[in-house]
Amino acid sequence: MKKYLLGFLFLLPVTGVLSAQSVPDQLISKCLHSTGPAAKYLKDFRIQLGKAASESEFRYKANMSLWKNTRYRFTMCTADDSAGQLILNILDDLNKPVLSSYDTKTGTIYPYVDLICNKSGIYQVYFDFTGYQSGSGVTIVSMIQ
Amino acid sequence: MKARIVFLVLFVVLIISSCRNASKKPEDFVLAGTGSLTESQKSGSEAIEEIYGYYSSSLEIANLFQVAGLPFSSDYLASSINISEQSGSFEKALYLGILGADLGYLNMYEKTGTSMELITSIEKLAVELNVSQFFDFDNIKRLSLNRSDLDSLLFLSLNSYKRIDEYLREYNKAELSTLIIIGAWIEAQYFATQVIKQYPEELLKDRIGEQKYLLNDLISIVSPYCSQDDKFIELCKYLRNVAAKYNNVNISYTKGEPTSTVKNGILVVTQTETSMVEMTDEQLKEIIEITGIVRNKLISN
Repeated sequence: MKKYLLGFLFLLPVTGVLSAQSVPDQLISKCLHSTGPAAKYLKDFRIQLGKAASESEFRYKANMSLWKNTRYRFTMCTADDSAGQLILNILDDLNKPVLSSYDTKTGTIYPYVDLICNKSGIYQVYFDFTGYQSGSGVTIVSMIQ
Repeated sequence: MKARIVFLVLFVVLIISSCRNASKKPEDFVLAGTGSLTESQKSGSEAIEEIYGYYSSSLEIANLFQVAGLPFSSDYLASSINISEQSGSFEKALYLGILGADLGYLNMYEKTGTSMELITSIEKLAVELNVSQFFDFDNIKRLSLNRSDLDSLLFLSLNSYKRIDEYLREYNKAELSTLIIIGAWIEAQYFATQVIKQYPEELLKDRIGEQKYLLNDLISIVSPYCSQDDKFIELCKYLRNVAAKYNNVNISYTKGEPTSTVKNGILVVTQTETSMVEMTDEQLKEIIEITGIVRNKLISN
């Protein structure tokens, strides 16, 4: 019996990761209220990642329509218990980099990034945590007037 | 033997639990080591995937109105929608999209106190489509009346539609989700085309022209249902009629590198690449006309 119980306990952490809630509601609410007075909510991305097996590419990807003549704000919020900080890269439909919230030269992480969009299209948004660490976080996309 | 059975039962329960959660969409979470860039290069189907859950078109149009300094008008709202007992799920889903767009327009102009009737209509449709559990109507009404927290109101409203979309697609009712998205889009397109008649802003002309690609994606997602029944046949015909008016509208691009600056701790990136719409006044006029015809037919069904 003991060996089966141990086997069961061994499985628990694995399933715990698989069935974890994506991002706490409190973090989303807190992030929503930190976007600034001129920001109007448009969309959110909820990201939860374990530590990466290899450090090569950002692991969370989504597509998003962005429109010309619009100023978008990306507000990145990271849960306190995360090992890394949530960071963002945006590429256009031809895989050309448009912006990154992480300056690799200086190590600066920007929790707020505004994009003044002049080309309408579908963009690729990528998220990960610094150092490809584990973490959970949310990005609120708002429109700024 | 007994212990072995207990272990096996627990194992199966855990695996089932894991599998159920593992089927969540990328927007919910991605497990470590999955979804790398090389595995998920952009494809046409991914671009179309973005269309699902795209309920924010009226917010983005209303934002553009506000950028251009244009006033609010209730004349554009679909107040004449009559949700009769004869309406089936086809009409109800379309109306849910149309009224969602109206709500977005009202919210963006902070006309939230006047949106109670609209919210009640949305609630009725949601109940009849069995998706009311995804709306937090109490809080939506409270925030609308208080006019205190617009961002939370926008979040609650859009998130409700997003959850409905996920639910309908998961439970093989994707055609209803598609109808909601089409309803929301046609209403936002109607706002833009009505407003430009009165305020011929270049910003609006561009946005109307840029709908060419979005419209093509909408036609792609509805096409599997286009021969399903007479209602879908008619809807697809309407959308193709609108698309036909876009045939000679061209969108061109100029190259450029983005520039960036830091202001008050915010990284501000400005694109110097641009998209430009080439659309004659005659083409615009035809798009305005067909949009009005289609939208008014849809709300009078």
